[in-house]
Amino acid sequence: MKSAPFEHYEPTTTNEATSLLESLDDPTILAGGQSLVPMLRFRLANPDVVVDINGIDSLDYLREEDGYLKLGALARHADVEDSDLIDERYGSFADTAPLVADPQIRNRGTVAGSVAQADPKGDWGSVLLAHEGEIVAEGPDGERVIPADEFFLLPYDTTLGEDELITEVRIPTPEPREGSAYHKLKRKTGDYAMAGVGARLVLDDDGRIETAGIGMTAVDITNAQATDAEQHLEGERPSADLFETAGELAAEASNPESDEHGGADYKERMVDVLAQRALGDAAERAGAVRRKVTQ
Amino acid sequence: MTDETEITLTVNGTEHTVEVEPRRLLVHAIREDLDLTGTHIGCDTGNCGACTVLKDGEPIKSCLMFATQADGAEILTVEGMEDLPAADDDLHPLQEGFREEHGLQCGYCTPGMLMAGKALLDENPEPEEDEIREAISGNLCRCTGYQNIVRSIEYAADELDARAATDGGAVAAADGERSADAGGEADTFCGLEDCCGGPDASGGDHAGDQFEREYLGGEET
Repeated sequence: MKSAPFEHYEPTTTNEATSLLESLDDPTILAGGQSLVPMLRFRLANPDVVVDINGIDSLDYLREEDGYLKLGALARHADVEDSDLIDERYGSFADTAPLVADPQIRNRGTVAGSVAQADPKGDWGSVLLAHEGEIVAEGPDGERVIPADEFFLLPYDTTLGEDELITEVRIPTPEPREGSAYHKLKRKTGDYAMAGVGARLVLDDDGRIETAGIGMTAVDITNAQATDAEQHLEGERPSADLFETAGELAAEASNPESDEHGGADYKERMVDVLAQRALGDAAERAGAVRRKVTQ
Repeated sequence: MTDETEITLTVNGTEHTVEVEPRRLLVHAIREDLDLTGTHIGCDTGNCGACTVLKDGEPIKSCLMFATQADGAEILTVEGMEDLPAADDDLHPLQEGFREEHGLQCGYCTPGMLMAGKALLDENPEPEEDEIREAISGNLCRCTGYQNIVRSIEYAADELDARAATDGGAVAAADGERSADAGGEADTFCGLEDCCGGPDASGGDHAGDQFEREYLGGEET
């Protein structure tokens, strides 16, 4: 099916885009379009005005700067997948990118767009939550920085203002002893997550967990943080027993719904397993030694 | 601005100027404005991949972007395959592979599979089976069970590789998207595993999950 007709603007600077968002009536922002275009075609979205930001070259970046890993609004999933910087320093991002949809969609879809879409089955929101990430938005009053844990409200609903444009998503650059990982369960390549867990661990000089972050995908009405599990981890030494309890706490914090892919009980159990795996990888990447002991 | 805008698309090497509505999908511009109906539409959701084309060398789903977004871009569709140098005025080795290895039954998904295969071989001339499966993971086939499609792409990789060995890389290097340097280096003779476009080393192996694990924080490996 065709989209309903819409007015179409192609700004080439952020300023031009934000003035358009301010002056136009209820505009919809088009970035990668891999969710929006099907929604337009099914007429689940019927905007009168579409502002296509793909011409704003200054938003096409992925770099470390001022203590952050910054992804401009036009950084595509494939940019993350192909980045040496990501491979070397950002385990959770390197894990996540190749698990998003399929190669064609990763060439077009953007990380920031996926976050803005706020589908509870989207992967990047969980990764941002695990990393204490931030969303940078530009609006009529200038720049606003929104912590990831204050961004997601409901499925497809966020605290982003209607006249605001996400220009960047970012996470702090890694501490000396930091590791992160993302694990996702899906029925087949290209599917959304049945469940997913992102984990970040920062170890202190003594090898204890200084900071823990856990974000969960597809098991609540938004990407969700497993706060109890995080608190349980902090101050402790990484161990299989510790992660087992953290996995249980993450499962308790999750709130999945039964659907054709599995019952709520099953999904909770999967959160437990995925959390343990993600924490295990994160600990190893943070420099903790993983010793395998046969039972 | 719902009016038609003029865009320029270079499709299979030929520049076209077309007037499109903002809501016109790239796939409709290709099929209906340019009459290149080799690019198929198999779904409305972006799942099936039958509409895959290469935009500036990268595989994309042409039903998931508007034609205006491809203004100024170079597009390769299945119709352009036989004009590529590697086709040698006949079928492209990928097309030949699909014929030889029975890579299609109804043929509906084939144009998309060919384009996904082309993108893969441009990047990675000697793919492993799992890399081929990953490269076509955005393309659905309801006939073959994929087995023969994988073999077809392997056939093309072997064929291109054999020619590169014979011609010192001339054919491969002339195929457009690959740089002359990459083709000239003749990956066959590199002699190093995982070099020359080989798979990235990946972590996250969970083969050990049947074991109990311990983590000893604070000790350097």
